[in-house]
Amino acid sequence: MSGDQLDSVEALLEEARLAARMPDPAERLRLREAAGLSRAQVAAAVGVGRQTIANWESGVTDPQRPGRVKYLRLLEGLAQIHPAPEEAASLPREPQPGGRSPSASAAASSVPTAASWDFTAQTAWRSDGLAAQGEPGPCVRCGVVTPFRSTDGRPLHAGAMCRPGTAAPLAAAAPQHATTPATTPANAPAPAPVVPAPTRPPSPSPAPPSGERQAQAPSASPTPAPLPSRPQRRAQSAARAQSETGDLIARAVHEELQRAEGDADAALQALVKRAIPDVMRLFEETRATARYQYTAYPSLPDILHKPSKREPDQIWEARPNFHHPHYSLKAPGDIRVTALDANAAYLSALKCWLPIGKLEHHSGSDGVDPKRSGVHLITPAPWTHPHLPDPLGDREEPGALWITDATLRLLLRLSGPKYGLTDPPTVHESWTSGATENFLDALRKVLAAARETALAQDDSLTEGYVKAMYSKFISTMGESVHNREIQRPDWMHIIHSQAYANLWGKAYKAHQAGLEVIAMMGTDELHVSGDWRRVFPEGRGLAQMKIKYSDTAKASGEYTVGKVTG
Amino acid sequence: MAQDSRWRRIGHYGARALPGWVVLAEGVDKMVTGIESPVTTERGLAARLRYLTASDAGYEAMDRAGIHVRPRTLIAWLAEERSPSRANLTRLDAAYWDLRRRNVVTDLKRRLTNHGRGTRIEIDPADQSQVATRHRRDVEMRSLNVRGLVWDRAVDAWLSHDARELEAIWDEIIQGGLGTDWDAYTFVSSVGWAA
Repeated sequence: MSGDQLDSVEALLEEARLAARMPDPAERLRLREAAGLSRAQVAAAVGVGRQTIANWESGVTDPQRPGRVKYLRLLEGLAQIHPAPEEAASLPREPQPGGRSPSASAAASSVPTAASWDFTAQTAWRSDGLAAQGEPGPCVRCGVVTPFRSTDGRPLHAGAMCRPGTAAPLAAAAPQHATTPATTPANAPAPAPVVPAPTRPPSPSPAPPSGERQAQAPSASPTPAPLPSRPQRRAQSAARAQSETGDLIARAVHEELQRAEGDADAALQALVKRAIPDVMRLFEETRATARYQYTAYPSLPDILHKPSKREPDQIWEARPNFHHPHYSLKAPGDIRVTALDANAAYLSALKCWLPIGKLEHHSGSDGVDPKRSGVHLITPAPWTHPHLPDPLGDREEPGALWITDATLRLLLRLSGPKYGLTDPPTVHESWTSGATENFLDALRKVLAAARETALAQDDSLTEGYVKAMYSKFISTMGESVHNREIQRPDWMHIIHSQAYANLWGKAYKAHQAGLEVIAMMGTDELHVSGDWRRVFPEGRGLAQMKIKYSDTAKASGEYTVGKVTG
Repeated sequence: MAQDSRWRRIGHYGARALPGWVVLAEGVDKMVTGIESPVTTERGLAARLRYLTASDAGYEAMDRAGIHVRPRTLIAWLAEERSPSRANLTRLDAAYWDLRRRNVVTDLKRRLTNHGRGTRIEIDPADQSQVATRHRRDVEMRSLNVRGLVWDRAVDAWLSHDARELEAIWDEIIQGGLGTDWDAYTFVSSVGWAA
């Protein structure tokens, strides 16, 4: 019994000794990878799950029983075989033949670094067009075993099949810079790639040798940074668009500013002039990986055709022109009113349900579908709220009218249980097509990001350019001679209506918060009385409101109105 | 494809479409711009007369349109001392647009050829919304690039109102670019392009 107790004491002492020298998580990972072991191998030997090893190596958890002692023992053994890289990195950068144990150099040679990547090796092709094969061996580029051969007989993956970097953690690579020429003597005749690039720091990254806690952060994990030669899969077209098209805008501004020799006004003029082709190019860029093929020149129903250049088509966009009947500028009184302005209303309105293909006719309410969009002939229910603007705008003639999908969605929402403000409209017929809400979203995000940056940097040039781009994109996407790339008057109407519907939403929000809506006009103008800063954040951002000053209108900035009596 | 194929008898099951070459010619037509004011207005008439009397080609165009008036009448029109009869107003308008088309042909060809790159056209197939579901065919919107030489011929045929040639060009365009499906695009609902 006493012997057993002594043994257990010994075991505890041994464990304490090992624990005192327990390497930090990054070092654990380095040791395992330097030895070329997989997590599964280590997990099987230690008697825990593979994920547990991963957690120990990333620092999520610390080694616990039952695998703790075995794991620590393994680490200690590995640390003797693969000492920490600090000594190796500090070694002079000369070939060190025989300076290392054979196993170490073997492990090192199986993981060439990106810097020692042998670009001169060529795949050998047989006369029949197939790649030459031989005894399998580690590829000179990536270290993974391959039967294919290079022209000089060394193992090499055929074509561009190897993936450098993933198989070669830089932690293991760091000490190996010095040894590369020695371990691959066959490279000697090919001079350029063998010598590590002198500008490259010997230990570019990871695995700080001693136990700094920051090494546990995922950003400091020794995973190599992706090489630029490998194409990255992008999950979203919007993300791609933002990264690649954002600088198109900056480049155009820079170009025009240079051409105008620094004259900002002249540059802005030139930028506005080229806004339409530029925004169409931007739009094409954002469509590059998009899912839907849209119809740019559909055959249009007659209601969407302008009878002549000056006459409009038959669509009612529900542009608001609301003035509260109980208040007037002329009446005496001192009710303080603020004229507010929604920022870049049309830019926000690019997020709306747009029909993708050609519009198809449906009679009755068959065309009303959340996944479809277009134009609808409706008879609206009467609007009975004098304190709130009519969502259909100030239409004077009664009867049926053609409205867009954006307005119909607003009306249906207002007739739903959440609002209960009106009865649903009667839909007589529709011209619709399958729709998506994300159609112009990538473009909207690019332009919004450019606008935000421009505002933050007080760059009125870029801001003006972005404004010209989105406003002209919308106004010329119908039947315009200025933009022949696209002929979708239906889109134009829907985006306009969406802007008005968004403004109605703001008016409703103000009303719900206890402000009185005095007027709602145009695309972006909302006049309210009361403390509006409680309701809307002030600023120039897309979600903010600013005070609208006008030189011509009497009702501008902050003004007073009186209550109409009788 | 045989003359009696489904797509040749376009209205048989209720599909609605126009011959592709007609839509093509209309598209070229739409590219021509000119005086916006109608000939019945003073401004529109004056502009047309000025355009037609500025060159020999203008007088030839008036000849072709059947305006045979004495020089003094023409001078009186130009000086706005007299105004043309209703019949002559129509002829003047026809003569103006005839001349205008001839004059913009070079520009049209240049725009459509697009430095040798040609112009991509988008073809919207026949409208099948009135066709019974079991007879509907799955035909998509297609787009293909039309090269400059084809455009040159198409514009020439459009100018000379050569329907047969236009039809041949349209068939050539769709046969060359649309694969086995081409017959479905003999009749289309719209064709669009940016030039």
